[in-house]
Amino acid sequence: MLDLTDLSSGYGETQVLHGLSLRAEPGRVLAILGRNGAGKSTTLKTIMGLLPLRGGSVSFDGETISGLAPFDIARRGLAYVPETRDIFRSLTVRENLDLAARRFPCPQGGWTVERVIALFPRLGERLDNGGDQLSGGEAQMLAIARGLLMNPRLLILDEPTEGLAPIIVRLIHDKLAELKRDGLSMVLVEQNFGFATSLADDVVVVSKGSIVWRGSTAAIRADHEAQHRWLGV
Amino acid sequence: MTTDVGFWVLQTLNALQLSMLLFLLSVGLTVIFGLMHFVNLAHGSLYAFGAYVAATLAGVLGTWGAFLLAPLAVAALGAVLYFTLIRSQRRAGPMAQVLVTFGLIFVAVDATRLIWGDLPIGIAIPQVLEGQLALLGVEYPVYRLFIIVLGLAVLGVLTAVLTRTQVGAMIRAGVDNDQMAACVGINVERMFFLVFVVGCALAGLAGAVAAPVLSVTPDMGLQILIPTLIVIVIGGLGSLKGAVAGSLIFGFVQTFGAVLLPSFSSVLIYALLAAVLVTRPEGLLPAKG
Repeated sequence: MLDLTDLSSGYGETQVLHGLSLRAEPGRVLAILGRNGAGKSTTLKTIMGLLPLRGGSVSFDGETISGLAPFDIARRGLAYVPETRDIFRSLTVRENLDLAARRFPCPQGGWTVERVIALFPRLGERLDNGGDQLSGGEAQMLAIARGLLMNPRLLILDEPTEGLAPIIVRLIHDKLAELKRDGLSMVLVEQNFGFATSLADDVVVVSKGSIVWRGSTAAIRADHEAQHRWLGV
Repeated sequence: MTTDVGFWVLQTLNALQLSMLLFLLSVGLTVIFGLMHFVNLAHGSLYAFGAYVAATLAGVLGTWGAFLLAPLAVAALGAVLYFTLIRSQRRAGPMAQVLVTFGLIFVAVDATRLIWGDLPIGIAIPQVLEGQLALLGVEYPVYRLFIIVLGLAVLGVLTAVLTRTQVGAMIRAGVDNDQMAACVGINVERMFFLVFVVGCALAGLAGAVAAPVLSVTPDMGLQILIPTLIVIVIGGLGSLKGAVAGSLIFGFVQTFGAVLLPSFSSVLIYALLAAVLVTRPEGLLPAKG
């Protein structure tokens, strides 16, 4: 579904990704693991067209999307939930949701504002709050809800548990598991090994900007040497 | 003098009228900056162009026709500028943008000299807006009241569009975070073009309605540039509320300074600007938190 081939990318003078290749399969959850600074978030930003590509290519359902503008990539069905959540601060919660909902009117059985509120009832209580008045957990729920309202074919999540209380982490976990059961394809970047491996089907490990390990979730759980060497678990 | 109610009413109206002209100019510039971090120093030249076009058209179409068409002409010029110069400068960084648009000011000044000459041009006030109106015991020119009402009307329309419509929400989202706005499928560059052209039209409108009360001269664009920049720096870059607040502050400080503290009037606004920059470097009501 999503193919990264020999990707090179970075910020300014600094190259972060060095020939990174990976594939995400439809209907499955791929976890991208690795230490801080390994290039996980850079990979996601490069997929979304937010960083200039220096080499390699990204294709989505057989179409090359590298080189397209971010808005064009988003319109092809990739929804991005960034690490910093990036809720629009001067918009209310309702406006944040509507912004995505009205641009991507739901196909049959798709996501609507009512449906994401049913998924995250907390957002329903906060509809008229400003985007800058949310707790970390609420902001994360809103970021995921906004992504879902784009009715994406692939949901891309960057560290959804970062900075959240354990009870909220569990809630986010359960909701993502629900989305997975419904067949939504996801790419998940995580530092939290337990969280990631309980959701993912497939795992890749990034170190110094390229893939150093790939396999199934069961395989990474069993491979203590790889866990110790690449993840410090 | 200062115990006379009429004095305060008169000066308040004068201040409001200056504020509204500055608002029409600064709102486009500040939203353009907020959305794309683009500095267009030639914004004042678009104002001057609006005044000249209005002065020229007024002879043919009458003043109302001129008021209507001058903003459209300036918007068209803005679109040409966008496709020839501004789009290619978008990623060039602030220094290149400042130099290119600063250069444009000189091109504009000499172009207006070549076309319209050095002498100030006048334009007649529309007949229905001639004369004075008694207001709270003061006789005030109807035309200047018209400028105040026009400014308030534009403010009302812009507020409604920005807070109540989907396009408005998209613009606010783009000012908040242009990258994330793109990631929810918004073509931020096209939105920038739209905002840029509307901002040019408002600058043209400001020039057109100012033409009957000021003399239309080649350097009027340069003269208005500094006040406009002060307005957006005091108000806070990128925000509509900031443009309103900055314009009112500038209008009132300038007007009342000139009559109450005449010997300090020219430094007052700069002192205030410095005070704002020291205590609130982002301006009083910045778009970003």
